[in-house]
Amino acid sequence: MTKAVRRFLPVVVIAAAVVFPFMAGPYPLAVAQSVLISMALAVSWDMLLRSGQISFGIAGFFGIGAYGAALTTLKLSASPIISILLAGACSAAVAFMLGFVILRLRKVYFAITTLALAEIFQVIIHNWGDFTGGPEGIVLPSLIFNGDARSLYWLALASVLLACALSALFQRSRLRFALTAVRNNEVSARSSGIAIFSYLMIAFVTTSFLQGIIGGIHVQIYGYASPDSVFDANYTLLPLAMALLGGTYSTPGPVLGAVLLGVASEYLKLKIPYGHLVVYGIIIVLVILLLPAGLYGQYRKRVKARAAHA
Amino acid sequence: MRKAFVAIACFALIGAAAFAQGVIKLGANWPLGDVSGMECSKAAQLAVDEINKAGGVLGKQLQLVVVDDEGKGDKGVAAIEKLATVDKVDVLLGGIASGVAVAQVPIMKKYQIVTVATGAAASASVEKALGPSPGSDWYFHLHPWDYNQGQSYFEGWDAIQKKYPNVKISKIFLAYEEGAFGKSSFDASNAIFGSRYTFDGASFKSALQGGSDYSAALEAAKDFKPDLFIWAGYAQDALPLLEQSKAMKFSPPIYLGAPPAWPTDIGKSPLAEDIMLYGMWAPSINDISPISKKFSDSYVAANGTGPTSYFAALSYSAVYIIADAIKRARGTDREKLISALEATKYASPLGETITFTPSKIIKHQGIKNQKILQWQNGRQEVIWPFEVQSKPLVYPLPSWK
Amino acid sequence: MRVVVTRSIARPGRTWQPVLLIALTVIGTAAISVWKPTALVYGVQRAGLYAAVAIPMALILGIVHIVNLAHGELMMVAAYLSYFAARLLGLDPFVSLVPVAVVMAIFGLLVYLLTVKHALKAPELNQLILTFGLAIALSQTVNLMFTSQSWKLSLGYVSASATVGDVSFGVFDFVYVAAAIALAAGLQLFLKRTRMGKAALAVGQNPRGAAIVGIDVGKTYAFVFALAVGLVGGVGSLFLAKQAIFPMVGGPYTMKSFCLVAMAGVGNIVGILYCSLALGLAESIIDGIRGYAGWSNMVFFVIIIATILVRSWRERKV
Repeated sequence: MTKAVRRFLPVVVIAAAVVFPFMAGPYPLAVAQSVLISMALAVSWDMLLRSGQISFGIAGFFGIGAYGAALTTLKLSASPIISILLAGACSAAVAFMLGFVILRLRKVYFAITTLALAEIFQVIIHNWGDFTGGPEGIVLPSLIFNGDARSLYWLALASVLLACALSALFQRSRLRFALTAVRNNEVSARSSGIAIFSYLMIAFVTTSFLQGIIGGIHVQIYGYASPDSVFDANYTLLPLAMALLGGTYSTPGPVLGAVLLGVASEYLKLKIPYGHLVVYGIIIVLVILLLPAGLYGQYRKRVKARAAHA
Repeated sequence: MRKAFVAIACFALIGAAAFAQGVIKLGANWPLGDVSGMECSKAAQLAVDEINKAGGVLGKQLQLVVVDDEGKGDKGVAAIEKLATVDKVDVLLGGIASGVAVAQVPIMKKYQIVTVATGAAASASVEKALGPSPGSDWYFHLHPWDYNQGQSYFEGWDAIQKKYPNVKISKIFLAYEEGAFGKSSFDASNAIFGSRYTFDGASFKSALQGGSDYSAALEAAKDFKPDLFIWAGYAQDALPLLEQSKAMKFSPPIYLGAPPAWPTDIGKSPLAEDIMLYGMWAPSINDISPISKKFSDSYVAANGTGPTSYFAALSYSAVYIIADAIKRARGTDREKLISALEATKYASPLGETITFTPSKIIKHQGIKNQKILQWQNGRQEVIWPFEVQSKPLVYPLPSWK
Repeated sequence: MRVVVTRSIARPGRTWQPVLLIALTVIGTAAISVWKPTALVYGVQRAGLYAAVAIPMALILGIVHIVNLAHGELMMVAAYLSYFAARLLGLDPFVSLVPVAVVMAIFGLLVYLLTVKHALKAPELNQLILTFGLAIALSQTVNLMFTSQSWKLSLGYVSASATVGDVSFGVFDFVYVAAAIALAAGLQLFLKRTRMGKAALAVGQNPRGAAIVGIDVGKTYAFVFALAVGLVGGVGSLFLAKQAIFPMVGGPYTMKSFCLVAMAGVGNIVGILYCSLALGLAESIIDGIRGYAGWSNMVFFVIIIATILVRSWRERKV
């Protein structure tokens, strides 16, 4: 692929995504909404991964965002768009406060802590019934944009574009070098003068903000949130799988992974009404075994190898 | 002149042929990965096959399209979109979980396709989202709302205490699983029973979510010394609760379980003897209702085993109700179909005749009555309503040896 | 520069100041016994179940360095095997425990050779997602074959009870406590005293160094993986005796085991006993507080985070 093609490919893809609603009916749009939301989460997870921190708490910030948007809509009569921004702010604020305490942890301990925090958020929302509606959940009076399928799709697409934009920013700016240095070898990173904690905090707050926005968008699209539904572990595990299958440490990787797993899941369901999830699990196993660097990662390796041989 | 006549006759013949070859599409969504959802799908297909074999509806064959909603709101929404816009179904049916139904309501309102719902009991979310007539008139709710169930049981215990004077209830304790199902059961029961009885409850973590220890709730129950002990949880909790109750020597005069379904083979356990339960359908109704027997026998013939919960009977009923209404409406025109459904009088396998009457908010509520049953000799016997009672009540629960 | 992992593995028995721990235990036990004795009993029993399920996962995490997200599903498969042994062959779960464990060990070996072995060189996350995919495939296959219907054996002895004063409580669950202690003690013996065990420990601490010394790392991984799956298979048999089984029954236990193993510190098997005890008791106590039972779910995770944070504070990272 020539450099010119590679430069224009993202533009073409984005353009295609934007005009997609004019060519597709409400059903593909509904499927696409789910895929886009998982895609945005996958990209946000990958952004934090680049600093070496593995988060198992996506569902936690997603859920906080969902409830933030729902509660501000119900209690403060905020407009849907404002509520989504407030949702992001809630998650970011929580991440900021927690970051001081937990960003010192590394590897599996950070991962477990984020997992535990997500569970704690769920329990709090579940038990604080008077404020959050308890286990039965809360219903919004109406959907954003009155449930117009195309507008909902563009909203979900907007979250993906926001995530990709921030991700690209992370990849291009000084942040990338800082985060990669921290990920690879903290000691030499610190001795090079990189303020590790500040960079980790930036990454953590930004990705949590993103996850909160996505949660807010989710609740505005479907009009309903309950502790079991928005804090579901699948909102952590599926984006993770998507990012890994697509290729980590990149922006196109999680996007590809989301398309693969999201579309496969719906397609398999229609073709194999009983047992499609067995095939789904096997697909995950096979792709991770055969393409350890993910779809995009494998492609990048091949490009590098070819360039080396040239 | 004759040419015109022949032309018109030809068109009429072609038109008639097309009409006769037409298909009436029913679109359904259920969680196929769950045994209840799978049984709904099979029961509905059984009804469709029976109707088609008997000649179809208005000369047309019925076609059932089922989409898996996976028990999730977003997949449920996608399912409705597919059925409405890709499969272009004439009538919708289905649903089990309230959480999925509430996410589907806004989309269903967009299309307003006539819907016969087989699930969704949470009135605070689903019925509220549907809103009053005429905005929700396209929606026919077969499954009872949570307050319907509570009201029904209230009447049932009243009737049982009148018929069996040695049964005296003044204190009721409800152990409920901490999720949405348990909590709404507790709230509904508290509101209705709290007026006449001394009512209390405690929550527990269901085995479905990984819980294994019911001691806190059972000890609270034991201290309360209830005349009627109820637990609202899932099939996974049924035997462990009994086993732990026995270990703690907790034996109230009436021990009643209210899960949506029971585990396989619980009938074989000696602990289940004389345990009471809430429900809508049980194989013992086959003894009383020939329609139930026909349904049950056909289901077993087609699938090898009988259904494990009442949802299958509900789905079977939904298809027959729809077919009957289409016949009376002479087509699937929305307004005519709604009027025809409103006049429904369907003798169902549940042992009662289904009609649609208003509930608190919506206009078309089907079943409002539940049944109170008792495990006797490994079978679920109906105790109340007395019209379908299959065996007399055994009271009190024998104390653990 | 101090490294967290080495410290835990080098001194597996020592996570806490022993004196402080004993003092807390004595005070705590006394308080609970006076206020709510059954909370103590049930807390210990719960702890036993959690620990018994978690300990085999610690083996895989400590030695093969893989987070096995299919852990609970493997226990579920074992429970189903045991169920069929009971229904078709009339074998009590305690009797089928060993055969089921052996079958599961072979199954675990197959899973390792077919999948995990090829992912060893890949990043840890790949291995995590691999086991995630396996977990989905396993639970959904069982769901497809046997539906999501709940199955349960009805064994009289699981309602065995004891009465102290005017309080009766179930005693069967002490079986899990015994199993957890047996597992921990057995594994400690195995890892410290046997040649295979010491080799496994060496591989866990330093795979390259172990290879240099001549230990067959691949065979050790395979053996440890099969052993861990066999052990969790045995626990699955015990699980069937009292609990209802269904395809998704393993999920919550995987998560709890993962948290317990991380809390105790990677490689610290005996620590899992202490941690699960603390967690089981805390959950049981909160459960007993009327009106606040729902918060017991949180206690588990709060204590885990607190432990991890306190430990990291002592290591003084960042």
